[in-house]
Amino acid sequence: MEVPLTALREGETGVITSIKVGSGCAGRFCRGIYKRLEDMGLTPGTKVTMLKSAPFHGPVEIYVRGYRLALGRGMAERIIVEVQR
Amino acid sequence: MIFNQLTGLHQHIGNWPGKTVERAEGTLHFKGYTIDIVDLPGIYSLSAFSLEELISREYIIFEKPDLVINVVDASALERNLFFTLQLMELEAPLIIALNQIDMAEKKGIKIDYKRLEEILGVPVIPTVAIRGKGVYELLNRAVEAIERGVPKPATIKYGEEVEERIKRLSEALKDLQLKYPTRWVAIKLLEGDEQIEREIYRLNPGTKDLVKEIAAEIESIHGHPCPTVITSERYEMAGRIAREVQRILPAIKAPLIERVHNITTHGVAGYIIMALVVLGIFHAIFSFGGFLSEMLSEFLYGYESLFESTLGVGPLKDIIWGGVIEGMIANITIALPYIIPFYLILYTLEDSGYLARIAFLMDVVMHKIGLHGKAFIPIMLGYGCNVPACLGCRIMETERERLLAGFITTLIPCAARTVIILGLVGTFLGIQWALALYVIDLVIVFILGRIAFKTLPGEPTALIMEMPDYRLPHMKTIIKQTWFRLEEFLKISFPLIIASGIIIKLTEIFGLLSVLSQALSPVTVGWLGLPEIVGITLIFGVLRKELTLVILATLLGTTDFRSVLTPVQMFVFALVVMLYVPCVATVAACIKEFGFRRSLIIVLIEIALAIFIGGITYRLMTIFSILEGW
Repeated sequence: MEVPLTALREGETGVITSIKVGSGCAGRFCRGIYKRLEDMGLTPGTKVTMLKSAPFHGPVEIYVRGYRLALGRGMAERIIVEVQR
Repeated sequence: MIFNQLTGLHQHIGNWPGKTVERAEGTLHFKGYTIDIVDLPGIYSLSAFSLEELISREYIIFEKPDLVINVVDASALERNLFFTLQLMELEAPLIIALNQIDMAEKKGIKIDYKRLEEILGVPVIPTVAIRGKGVYELLNRAVEAIERGVPKPATIKYGEEVEERIKRLSEALKDLQLKYPTRWVAIKLLEGDEQIEREIYRLNPGTKDLVKEIAAEIESIHGHPCPTVITSERYEMAGRIAREVQRILPAIKAPLIERVHNITTHGVAGYIIMALVVLGIFHAIFSFGGFLSEMLSEFLYGYESLFESTLGVGPLKDIIWGGVIEGMIANITIALPYIIPFYLILYTLEDSGYLARIAFLMDVVMHKIGLHGKAFIPIMLGYGCNVPACLGCRIMETERERLLAGFITTLIPCAARTVIILGLVGTFLGIQWALALYVIDLVIVFILGRIAFKTLPGEPTALIMEMPDYRLPHMKTIIKQTWFRLEEFLKISFPLIIASGIIIKLTEIFGLLSVLSQALSPVTVGWLGLPEIVGITLIFGVLRKELTLVILATLLGTTDFRSVLTPVQMFVFALVVMLYVPCVATVAACIKEFGFRRSLIIVLIEIALAIFIGGITYRLMTIFSILEGW
């Protein structure tokens, strides 16, 4: 099942299938942010585990490639994962 | 950390030429060699999307250092090797410091560094920089490597389909006279690196079609854009190497660190702890600082009579004492009791990893004003002094975020403004009114931040931040950080304060001050309802905010402000002083970071804001008889 990263419950793991680039976002900067995500190891096929989701639509904390990463909610919503049960 | 261990205090901090990125340099004497060490910005990749990455990359390519020390965090080997692989592709003369092996071992990660050395073809030295372990060995091997000639790192191969195409492209590029390694250029072209594209396509426009063709092939094989495939495969290589050299044992680390992490990022408990920590710091600093500051200034002002007896009374004494020495005293009585302890505590929190948790918790709030959680750090710095806070906005990733954060930090009441708020409102009206001012300030910051965010065109913002493990803070690093911030404050503010102190003294001697304050009286008296004399203090306040109170006392001839100001006047006065304009030193820092025009806009907005809000508050308080008969 493919869902946004934010839909994972704490402790659940998913495999990244794609990163959606937002509609209102084009040009150099968006490529920049996209690239930054990839450079931090969030590439298609990567396993991520949800560690914590902050309340009030706050950021999420995930475990990826052996380290902990905090991601803003808006960003995390664009990362689509296949849930592993 | 490694850099600190190598260079000790022989460091020089500056900026990269023309860039607002910090450059730290140090010198070291070892085995008869004089070694210059440059600390490159801490980065995760070598693409050209951030200034820091670009600077590091250009430094390695064009300055051709004898050796690059790649500090690898052993407890997150895979992610770190991703960066190492890029350095190898760049064919940088490389040596690896496999750092924090103690932390890794606690996590149950055991690394066969000999094997790592074999695979990468570069020396790997395990270190625990925080305790200086392995640093001598690192240096020894570094010097040895340079003496013997640094070995060319191994070529780590991508997947077959990609590798073959990189070769094909390299072949086509071979005859161009390139300043870079050919294979690296080929990889960068496939990664869509704009800077390299521009250079190569100018040199040989024909390459463009070939790159397009190859990229399309890779894309059709893997089903993802070519740059993504390259990054992805590089990470796969890093992961493969990491898995080969490390053995994961059951963690022997006490679960304590995990528990602390969980509770400090908890949805409820985390916020409570954060509030307690922040309030605790402020309380400690300002009760202790106030006490110390008073003692210091009493002691230093004690020298005035001695000064008078040697120089006599007159304009010369006025200029030297009032212009120069009082400025120095003010600097000392703000820096020593407030700024230093505040930053010591703040950097202790940062070094331990707690600030990253605060950034995580504050992300939601910061998003409302167009920033993300990390912006909380310069804002906290602002409560100490706006100058380092303004410079601290560099941690934000984009130009726009830096400007937004910079604007907001200038509205944060620094130690000097706190002196006024507590000294006037806190002392004569009670602490609840002083707190009210802070709350008003936060509300204003929030509203203005939101307006600025909506009006400034530009990019969306996002928190992407590694969460470091908690660890015991390292004293030397903390002291050094504090010292550098203090240095920034002194360097920018000292000359300015003294120069403008002299100018103001001269204006005073020539009797221009009363003319100025008369000219200001429609605003100060008519709109804000303050005594005319206050105009003068506001002019002084531009130099140093805490001066306003001192001058006010001098002009009114008393420190018992109750007898000369009504409670409403005190409150409005403190409010205006808190907001009306950043002090000269902060303005200078702003100009340095954001340019003259933008700084001018910030100053004008804040003057208008202070006058507007001050007047409204005065009228509201009068109409509703707030604070009457206090």
